[in-house]
Amino acid sequence: MSSQKFFDKLKIQLLFSGPTLFAFFTVVILPFLYGIYLTFTNWDGVSTSHSFVGMKNYLAVLDDTAFWTSLYKTMKYVLLTVILINVVGFFLAYMLTTEIRGKNLFRAGFFTPNLIGGIILGFLWQFIFSNVLVYIGEHFKIGIFSSSWLADPDKAFWTLVIVTTWQYSGYMMVIYIAGLMNIPKELLEAASIDGANAFVRLRKIILPLMVPSFIVCVFLSLQRGFMVYDLNIALTNGGPYKSTQLVSMYVYQKAFLSQKYGAGQAEAFVLFLIVAIVTLIQVYVSKKREVEA
Amino acid sequence: MSKLKIMSAAVLSLSLLLAGCGNSAKESQQSEQKKTASSEVKITFLNSKGEIQAQLEEAAKEFSKENPGTTLEVIPAAAGQSPFEKVTSMYASGNAPTIAMLDPGDVKKFADKALDLSKEKWVNDAIDGSLDDAKTEDGKILAFPFAVEGYGLIYNKAVLDKAVGGNFDPASIKTRKDLAELIGKIQKTGVASNLLSPMDWSLGAHYLTIGYSVQSNKFEEVEAFLTNLKEGKEDLTKNEKLNGLLDTFDLLKENNINKKDPMSGTYEQGPELLGKGKVGLWFMGNWAWPQIKGFDTTNGNYGFLPVPISDNPDDYGNSQISVGVTKRLIIDKEQNSPEQQAAAKKFLEWLVYNEKGQDFLVNKANIIPAFKNITLEPQDPLAKSIKAYMNNNKTLRSMVTLPPDHWSQVGAFMQQYLDNKIDRKQLLKQIEGYWKSQQ
Repeated sequence: MSSQKFFDKLKIQLLFSGPTLFAFFTVVILPFLYGIYLTFTNWDGVSTSHSFVGMKNYLAVLDDTAFWTSLYKTMKYVLLTVILINVVGFFLAYMLTTEIRGKNLFRAGFFTPNLIGGIILGFLWQFIFSNVLVYIGEHFKIGIFSSSWLADPDKAFWTLVIVTTWQYSGYMMVIYIAGLMNIPKELLEAASIDGANAFVRLRKIILPLMVPSFIVCVFLSLQRGFMVYDLNIALTNGGPYKSTQLVSMYVYQKAFLSQKYGAGQAEAFVLFLIVAIVTLIQVYVSKKREVEA
Repeated sequence: MSKLKIMSAAVLSLSLLLAGCGNSAKESQQSEQKKTASSEVKITFLNSKGEIQAQLEEAAKEFSKENPGTTLEVIPAAAGQSPFEKVTSMYASGNAPTIAMLDPGDVKKFADKALDLSKEKWVNDAIDGSLDDAKTEDGKILAFPFAVEGYGLIYNKAVLDKAVGGNFDPASIKTRKDLAELIGKIQKTGVASNLLSPMDWSLGAHYLTIGYSVQSNKFEEVEAFLTNLKEGKEDLTKNEKLNGLLDTFDLLKENNINKKDPMSGTYEQGPELLGKGKVGLWFMGNWAWPQIKGFDTTNGNYGFLPVPISDNPDDYGNSQISVGVTKRLIIDKEQNSPEQQAAAKKFLEWLVYNEKGQDFLVNKANIIPAFKNITLEPQDPLAKSIKAYMNNNKTLRSMVTLPPDHWSQVGAFMQQYLDNKIDRKQLLKQIEGYWKSQQ
């Protein structure tokens, strides 16, 4: 009887989740496993045959200093963008949940950059950094803008951070606004009757209650930061002289430009492990800080 | 009851979905059968020369008109995407193009997929050396030489005429000293002498590789030089020719119009500066003509100067410019039917021997063909200049079969050198390091 029930349940289950599971399995799981398999070969991406090379590709990853440099740059980029995106996003959300005029217009405005694709954004900002700002800099004699930021390795790195922050803070703002609206008004009211000023209310009530939103936003910005590719290729194209080549772009070029598919795939797998570990730690640690209202 | 309803609804929708799939599958099968029944052949052409996409589509129409029953579809490879990337993904999806336009260095990787073309008629009419890097050891010819391109220092004759006070003769520049004097003269007229564009492909694939070509006028020796580099047996800091080339680079760098901010230049800047006569010299190739034409102020008076590598006028490389086959076509034999392969062969033949095919190559697409039988004269001044160097046998063989990431890696080193971030010794050590990692 119970096994009959089990099969009934399974049937219903499969009926609804089966198609999705099938799609997930064929387009995510299978390529993932096949990719891991390829890391043990010396395939170049096209030839019909390839041979096993064992752990050679993974040893090559350890030896590839350029990979670790680009990973280090990516870490720096992720750290900076995660902080900036969330600080700016939270600040915007906080401002736009107070009683200011035209807040819906502002909300829409700050969210808009997120609707434009990374490639187009990259080209847009490339024009701004190398033409508009240079023009303004030369015209008004502002030293810092007088030459293109994209031509200088350090400044080019900052252009990536700036554009990323601009692009995603609006998105995070929406999540924070949702979080802020969910904070029970009576708590804030009670606190202000008890004499808590705005800062104390923010620190003691709003921030602790916003932890779920922070978890989501930090997770999203972490993961996007590690995986950034389109903006990287459209804005700086890794230049000048590969100084802003972030790790996704590096891995892609290793596999498809240098035509070392196995080695590139091995680097991608290492990257996957690192990103998985970092994001899991983040979620685990911040889950502990969640509180109930 | 409600469960039953849900179930039946789901089953119904699922069966609808399946039926939909089944139908379309059947339909496509039928249409395919129809095609073969009326002996229609459809072939595809992957084009990786974006600038001639429109002209190619025109040519495809012409070709179909003359060969009823054959249609040719031109598929563009996205700008900035390497043709290799595009073709491999097309192979992986079981949808390989009948004809694929590849970079010469990638051709050999398709050895087991490309049709042997050694029995084709055009093989005998191809210019000397144009098939070398498409030949396999057992005598197969894997690819058709589609375009010959060359590069060097493009000059604006109006600017140079003014600088030398009279008619400028390109043959008068034979040494670095000559070039330095010319640069001085140009600057005296109040115009910047030259532009050195900072693109990695220009510096890595074109400028630096002259240093490989000039190692010897025998190509086997150049190849031996590269093998030695791979094995770490070459000390580039002591290599006179490469250092000579870099001395010329220093000269160009010192007089670069972008000297203050050398990395800020873009490709788009070049045609405008040269065409408007704001610089006298620009290091680039004949593909830049369509863009230069847009800014031309001298009635098309342009030509190439060699990049001198020493002060001895007789040194190999001082009067030669770098020329080579830069695009090749392969025909797929793995995923295309014999009829399609035959049609593709016909198209290649059409390009070489049919009047309209030749007209497309030379006049419409501004390509310098690699065939002796095509007597049409190129229309644009840069192609004419290259033709002249070729006719006088004053060419260096372009290095087109280097490792696939050479241009990008070595290009980045050259950019650092251009931006004064590293010195000569570091540059040469990095290049040595790159080659050693290629083993």
